[in-house]
Amino acid sequence: MTKTILAVDDSGSLRQMLSFSLKAAGYGVIEAIDGEDGLNKAKRQTVDLVLTDQNMPGMDGLSLIRALRAMKNYQNVPILMLTTESGDDIKAMGRAAGANGWLVKPFDPARLTEVVKKLIG
Amino acid sequence: MLSWKSCSDDPMNTRIVHLLAGMSLHGDQHLAEVERDLVQMDVLLNEAVKKLCTSFMAIHQAIDLQQEALRSLLPGGMPEAGQAARLDALREEIGRHVGAAVTGLQFQDMTSQLIGRMVQHLAGLRDVFGVLGTSEPADLPESGSDEMLAMLNRLSDQIGARGDERAGATARSTVNQRHMESGGIELF
Repeated sequence: MTKTILAVDDSGSLRQMLSFSLKAAGYGVIEAIDGEDGLNKAKRQTVDLVLTDQNMPGMDGLSLIRALRAMKNYQNVPILMLTTESGDDIKAMGRAAGANGWLVKPFDPARLTEVVKKLIG
Repeated sequence: MLSWKSCSDDPMNTRIVHLLAGMSLHGDQHLAEVERDLVQMDVLLNEAVKKLCTSFMAIHQAIDLQQEALRSLLPGGMPEAGQAARLDALREEIGRHVGAAVTGLQFQDMTSQLIGRMVQHLAGLRDVFGVLGTSEPADLPESGSDEMLAMLNRLSDQIGARGDERAGATARSTVNQRHMESGGIELF
């Protein structure tokens, strides 16, 4: 069965690249334009992994992670941050919020799919 | 206490106010043009990158289909071991190039964030010019450096207050990348 990934980023081109890279590796992809959109889509369908940006208008990535972790069906779903930020403080905040990993942009499609495969097969 | 009439009738004050209003107007016009160009640049970059990305994806898929077609043309649909290895190597090479293109094209995501931040700072500068342009002759002291200093402090406070309102959007840059190599990965 195809594993589904929720890709949350306010940049249309970034979502397009994520979608292309993950679909080429055999995953299904649901795109969301910000944290709120991501949360709504996650409620409608439980996905196998969430990949989210941090800085987005409205609900940011950390808030999305906290909201997802508060939902019973997302307590064990891997969540990865994919962001331009790489500071130790923000990483610690991500970890405390419940992120399973931190990827700094720009991403390399091969390395990204390698990490995703490691987490959800 | 100075009366409005006495200050507004002072030719020096009137001249200063005109100078400030002129500076404010011209400064604001220049900044508005820069802001407009930055926003347009962001739109163009976004569209260009989306199109480039779509083309790279289409090329990648077309090459996959071409390789399948080539295989089907071979006797029995099965390439010899050497041919199969060559096709696989080509496929991997193309995949690497497309991956590198995808990594490189992400410059747009970062430049878009930087442009957004620049636009916020420009808005801050326009606020500064806006405050300078609101002075009236009556606002200016008739004489004395203490009064002038007090008036400049008031202007500075107004500029500071507007800056504080924008502090959230301009506080720090989240883009520190200086090259387009893929970023680090850390699993917790």
